[in-house]
Amino acid sequence: MAVRRAIGIVLASALLLGSLAGCTRPASQGAETKPGQGAGSTTEAGQKATGKTIVVGLQAEPTNLDPAQISDYNSSRAADGMFDRLVRFKDGSTELEPGLAESWDISQDGLVYTFHLRKGVKFHDGTEFNADAVKFSIERQIDPNHPYHNTGEFAYADFTFGKVKEVRIKDPYTVEIELKEPYAPFLSNLAIHAASIVSPEAVKKYGKDFTKHPVGTGPFRFVRWTPGVEVVLEKNPEYWKGAPKIDQVIYRPVIEDQARLTEFEAGQLDFIVGIPPEDLARLKQNPQYEVQEQPGMHVWYVVLNATKPPFDNPKVRQAVNYAVNRKAIVEQLLRSTGVLATGPLPPVVWGYTKDVPQYPYDPEKAKQLLAEAGYPNGFSAEFWVPESGSGMQQPREMATAIQADLQAVGIQTRIQTFEWGTYLDKVMGDKSSLPEMFEMSWIGDNGDPDNFLHYLLASDQAPPNGFNLGYYSNPKADQLLKQAQRLRTQAERQPLYEEALKLLVADAPWIWVDHETQIVAYKKSIKGFQLHPTGVFRFETVDIQP
Amino acid sequence: MSPLVRYALRRLAALVPVLLGVTVLVFLIMHLAPGDPAQIILGPKATEESLARLRHELGLDQPLVVQYLRWLGNVLAGNWGRSLQLKREVLPLVLQRFGATALLTVGSTVLAVVLGLAAGVVSATRQYSLADRAGMLLALVGFCLPVFWLGIVLQILFGLRWPILPVSGMNSPNTTGVLDTLAHMVLPSLTLATGAAAVIGRMTRSSLVEVIRQEFITTARAKGLPERAVIYRHALRNALIPVITVVGMQVGYLLSGAVMVEMVFSWPGIGLLMVNGIQARDFPLVQGAVLLVASSYVLVNLVVDLLYAVVDPRIRYG
Repeated sequence: MAVRRAIGIVLASALLLGSLAGCTRPASQGAETKPGQGAGSTTEAGQKATGKTIVVGLQAEPTNLDPAQISDYNSSRAADGMFDRLVRFKDGSTELEPGLAESWDISQDGLVYTFHLRKGVKFHDGTEFNADAVKFSIERQIDPNHPYHNTGEFAYADFTFGKVKEVRIKDPYTVEIELKEPYAPFLSNLAIHAASIVSPEAVKKYGKDFTKHPVGTGPFRFVRWTPGVEVVLEKNPEYWKGAPKIDQVIYRPVIEDQARLTEFEAGQLDFIVGIPPEDLARLKQNPQYEVQEQPGMHVWYVVLNATKPPFDNPKVRQAVNYAVNRKAIVEQLLRSTGVLATGPLPPVVWGYTKDVPQYPYDPEKAKQLLAEAGYPNGFSAEFWVPESGSGMQQPREMATAIQADLQAVGIQTRIQTFEWGTYLDKVMGDKSSLPEMFEMSWIGDNGDPDNFLHYLLASDQAPPNGFNLGYYSNPKADQLLKQAQRLRTQAERQPLYEEALKLLVADAPWIWVDHETQIVAYKKSIKGFQLHPTGVFRFETVDIQP
Repeated sequence: MSPLVRYALRRLAALVPVLLGVTVLVFLIMHLAPGDPAQIILGPKATEESLARLRHELGLDQPLVVQYLRWLGNVLAGNWGRSLQLKREVLPLVLQRFGATALLTVGSTVLAVVLGLAAGVVSATRQYSLADRAGMLLALVGFCLPVFWLGIVLQILFGLRWPILPVSGMNSPNTTGVLDTLAHMVLPSLTLATGAAAVIGRMTRSSLVEVIRQEFITTARAKGLPERAVIYRHALRNALIPVITVVGMQVGYLLSGAVMVEMVFSWPGIGLLMVNGIQARDFPLVQGAVLLVASSYVLVNLVVDLLYAVVDPRIRYG
């Protein structure tokens, strides 16, 4: 009796489980005939799935789709395809090419930029792209009296348009932008997401909700944003560069790295980021997948506080650079998810040169330099480390490795860790309480060398003006960097940056370790994809071929 | 007024100070945590002026007490503020996300009760058998498994090894079917339910074992009732009383455990929203989310207590 009953109960619960599991079959079948393979297959919801679709797995939910308000990767990745800018970065590099502006002139004094706009371009809402839209997109962000200034918090406005004095409409397809002072990186700033040209009519219509109804001129149009679930874009058949070959891009947040990888391998995602390093080799060997890697516009470094001894002495700074085995950190600790840095500027940014002083791992040389500087027995230093942080890679593990290397040459460091928010408050706060050493990283915005060298190392960029957190000062480099800002062409500026870079590397204001690699994996059926140093994904010319 | 209604009203009134306490705690914890929301919103490139301007707009330059009272007044008036990070009204946002969490919690509760009761009854009626020992060992293991680990193992098993279930999100891309959502629910519900099922199973077993030993069961058996009737009509009904309390407590745990499960399975519920909000120092969002979760936790407990009073007439509404 009892046995039969027990079996009955087990069967009943199994049935319930089974009925739940049974529900999955239509879904997993749905996945097999997912848009991308089965053209015109109908999903459960009865929506017509449209042809070629790429489903991208993001690391977190996009928080904003108004390009002028975005300050995180997940949002900029989801929003990028919907917008164009006056100038754009070339595929695969941070050099500039015409975008919504067909051409531009820069006045002799470097103050007035005249843009000749592309004609016949339409926003996704059908309205015309013209000089009004350019003026509107810029002034909305920087003019507190603009009627639509209250439609957002424009985190990048100061940075992107801070030097703008006035925007003038010469005729419907010509815009003049006058600057307060000559500033060469301005053109590159016009290529970053915050400088996207948005539809004025859409901003007027939706106001603060523009972020939920984004309208631009880009290769993809907004379809739907279901918070926490997905952002759906479809191709813009009237795109001025020609319609994209794929029909849809869907961005899905899958927070856990392992879950994202599992979804990818199960075929539910076509394209993923944030691959656990230990799984990378396996993905690379699988013929079904393509893995693409590229050094990012990123640098990871330890700031050496130049305001107090011992790091006010360049010899000591050089000594610690010889003392740290950076190659081992990159290859073993980071499992080559970064490339070894030879200076503060990543190789993907123009202005980079290999022709700089090198600091190979050489503890003997380090000891010798320390002795010359008057520290034959080393010294002790405080070393601040954040627990996490965007671009910080493995802050604690890397700190421990550096600590051990420094100890080998007689330098004792006391590591102190902080939560990221606290950490930023502290290192950007009171100068007098800064420790001798602290970790930092930087992800570039506009692909201009100025964004690294000037912003991070010029004396006038000490907090709160900029991000020279170690209060490093080199008047000769300062002068070169300032001069480079005032020149008009990349060709004129390049030699100045190369010279400045040599000076800075020789002076060793930081221990630079690596440039984090961007890594993505995608199905082999996706053809023609190329990573971009800015970290956004360009699908406008990508195709799907089984 | 019946004593039950009076009891219910008194319990409802007692919720007010509890919820008020929750608001004070949440408010203080968020505001005393280091990290400046203005800095986080504007990023490291912000100038001092724009930071000061934003702090003023957000009211962060006001004394804490003023900020708290202003916030509380708004909350009571139904204005839960605007998320700093998502630029949306908090109340509709948290309510919408709470729906997903509630769905997951309900699914897990059903699973936990079914699995727990089944295991408990089997074990109790076949004490010291192999099934009993195996069931209770499983329950012990199930109770101890970390949610994170179990979730990832289930994902690898049912998403990759035998790819029959989706492992993340609430729907397949571009899909809004009920069946599709149910399929997405299976693994997170199972992960979340395992611990609760274990507790319910052990509770059911011990409670049922105790009841079976009592005289009225012997009497029932002596009357010649079939064993099935003895167990289900007499024993189980009485044994369920403590089980209901445990189930109620487990619903509370499930609600809070959902945060972890939502992380693992990217389930778009309130837990995921809260974690994002905490990282971004999104005060209005976190406060709203915690307030909603705390209120529902307290309400679930109230319902359980009332249910308890109904099921067991011996309970006095003291």
